Amino acid sequence: MKVVKRDGKVVSFNDTKIAIAIRKGFVNSRSATSYTEDDHNKIFTKVIEEINKRYPKDGQVPIEVIQDIIEEELKSLGYVDIYDSFSSYRTRRSESRKAFQNRQHKLMKAIESLSLKTAIEEDSKRDNANVDGNTAMGTMLQYGSTLAREFAKSYIMSPRIASAHDDGEIYIHDMDFMPMGTTTCCQINLDKLFSRGFSTGHGHLRPPKGISTYAALAAIAIQSNQNDQHGGQSIPAFDFYMAPGVLQTFKKMFKQAVKEYIDLLEITKEIDFDKFVKKVDELTTMDVDIKTFKEFYEKDKQLEKSIKKAYDMAIKKTDRETFQAMEAFVHNLNTMHSRAGAQVPFSSINFGTDISYEGRMVIKNYLYALDSGLGKGETPIFPISIFKVKEDINYFEKDPNYDLFKLACKVSAKRLFPNFSFIDSPFNLQYYKKGDPNSEVAYMGCRTRVMGNTANPDKEIATGRGNASFTSINLVRIGIKHGIATNKEPNMEEFYKEVDEKIDLVKDQLLERFKIQCSKKVYNFPFLLGQGLFVDSDGLGPEDDITPVLRNCSLGVGFIGLAECLTALIGSHHGETEEARKLGLEIVSHMRERLDNISKQYKLNFTLLATPAEGLSGKFVAIDRSIYGTMPGITDKEYYTNSYHVPVRYNISATEKIKIEGPYHALTNGGHITYIELDGDTANNLEAFEKIVRCMHDNKIGYGAINHPVDRDPVCGYTGVIGDVCPGCGRHESEGIPVEQVEHFEIRTECASCTK
Amino acid sequence: MKNTKQNLVGEGVKFERIRRITGYLVGTIDRFNNAKRAEERDRVKHSIDTLKCDKKAV
Repeated sequence: MKVVKRDGKVVSFNDTKIAIAIRKGFVNSRSATSYTEDDHNKIFTKVIEEINKRYPKDGQVPIEVIQDIIEEELKSLGYVDIYDSFSSYRTRRSESRKAFQNRQHKLMKAIESLSLKTAIEEDSKRDNANVDGNTAMGTMLQYGSTLAREFAKSYIMSPRIASAHDDGEIYIHDMDFMPMGTTTCCQINLDKLFSRGFSTGHGHLRPPKGISTYAALAAIAIQSNQNDQHGGQSIPAFDFYMAPGVLQTFKKMFKQAVKEYIDLLEITKEIDFDKFVKKVDELTTMDVDIKTFKEFYEKDKQLEKSIKKAYDMAIKKTDRETFQAMEAFVHNLNTMHSRAGAQVPFSSINFGTDISYEGRMVIKNYLYALDSGLGKGETPIFPISIFKVKEDINYFEKDPNYDLFKLACKVSAKRLFPNFSFIDSPFNLQYYKKGDPNSEVAYMGCRTRVMGNTANPDKEIATGRGNASFTSINLVRIGIKHGIATNKEPNMEEFYKEVDEKIDLVKDQLLERFKIQCSKKVYNFPFLLGQGLFVDSDGLGPEDDITPVLRNCSLGVGFIGLAECLTALIGSHHGETEEARKLGLEIVSHMRERLDNISKQYKLNFTLLATPAEGLSGKFVAIDRSIYGTMPGITDKEYYTNSYHVPVRYNISATEKIKIEGPYHALTNGGHITYIELDGDTANNLEAFEKIVRCMHDNKIGYGAINHPVDRDPVCGYTGVIGDVCPGCGRHESEGIPVEQVEHFEIRTECASCTK
Repeated sequence: MKNTKQNLVGEGVKFERIRRITGYLVGTIDRFNNAKRAEERDRVKHSIDTLKCDKKAV
């Protein structure tokens, strides 16, 4: 006799398999203990008898029929409880088999798209603009991501959460990293790393001794930590961290110069060089009066001149070396690939408030390096540079770093960076302690922010902390369901009810993921936790529970499409009417309040995030359009408007936009950004540019950036606005021109360092 | 005779257009997904005629 399997394959009849199946039915039932093997066998014998009765010796029996017979015999012999559990198991198996086959189909389809299409044809290959989907390693990464996502949905997540994601109610960001239990990002404390040196896996890096190594190791730290997390890396106080390196370089240069003088003039006897070295080593700043060294030149006018000259030269050389170090740092972060798909680390640096001589030298030279661009004058895309604006430090004309604030505006008008963060905004100022850079707000370039800490109120800082993971809510759909888009009147009660349900669902999802993250060990994140980058991770042993450390992370609840949600609810968005403006703030305040309560309840940091939504911008709207069709002002575009932003195509003045978006910064404690779009000419008007930044400050923006077109012709190197024709060499896009015409052109863009 | 064709440069070379979308800059719009391209295309410039700020730079 033969058996026909589900896939149609014919195999020889093997009664052992039937016996085992029956046994499993008994053993897996709740009443397993009430039966013995004799009961199993009684059924088995009857089943075999029945098969032999129905099918001839050379016949073929389908597997489903065998299972039907088992069920029949269980029932007729009075094993009702076993029958129930056997048959329900059979149904479940068959469903999950179907589900898996469906998923498998989806999975294979996704992989087919990745393999057979180029990035231009396949949208999913451009999900993340920093991954080159055309490269071999980029495709390999996407294979891995696709599989990991499907694995997470089928094996890790609760089915209700997986289906909420698939149905476009919520969006779980970086789901492909869920099985690995990685966290998103970290504000790296370089001071701590540098003070004792660190290890990236092969060999120990000693504490750096000069600005060049400081900057080189900063890039290495960013690159190393990038591999332990799935998001970006940020340096919270770059100027403060680099300043000691500048001082060390200066001391080296000063001692060297003096030594060269006395060697050249053969006056070694006139000065106690060892004592001089000691004196220099004791300096805490390079900004000193030359009289500090009076004891060494008292007797000799020539020596006084020499030491003064040596000092000036050391300052100059240190300045130059700092510039070169900053230039190398920027180059490194734009060229060192650290993940598959030609990805450079997602790096950010915060700076602008160090008023020391050395710190100022770092800020100035970093801005100069940013201004001069990469090897062929290209605009650096990393690190995201964030200039921290603070009254009494760099905001007022009388402030010590006001000149650097102006320089930051000038560079930003040309290179799009730096962005600006505002310590004076109340929700940032509440953590600020004068003189403590750790208390200054620091942003991840993408906008993520950690400051408050419900889990650990002693650590209300940014340094050494970051986001664990974040998930966004489709606010628009809730608006459509309960607003005038589909009803006569908006039903706000039902709206808020559903918002709360979604927040709770996301809370459950974040907790589910947090549990996976906390189940990991230090050796899973050898740099982040092994080298003590994360707050409180010092001294963690290989087997220690990492939960207390990860509790310092934020769990982000994001949202997208407030503008479309408002339009769906009441027919206008917050750019258009006062009514929508009020309602928008009411909705987002409601969300924040609920998250604050949840945070207190769980003693964790559930924060409200104005989702960056890079890959998400088009996903929800596509699904919503399939459900609701094209609704004007709601689903009629290819994207939903970012978080609380006023729609990008709505005509509004810069001031008005800043005033409307400002209050949302206070509410979105998990991160926020406001953009102003300028045309090329306005961006070049430095007075106007600075005014916009000041306007952001005055309207309590937390983090803002000014966008303007930055184009570049790779042929002649012109950087600026390019329409159809390059103003530099006069060629059209893709057009070839005589080489002489290019040589004739000199790069006309202004250099910030020349017009100091 | 001089072959002018040989001295042509830049044939097929596109202009680079750097844009910011989520906070990150991207070196070329080619790498944006369709939704982001649409968003970038739709952006209108903000006027600064009425620009006022409360605190003076003094």
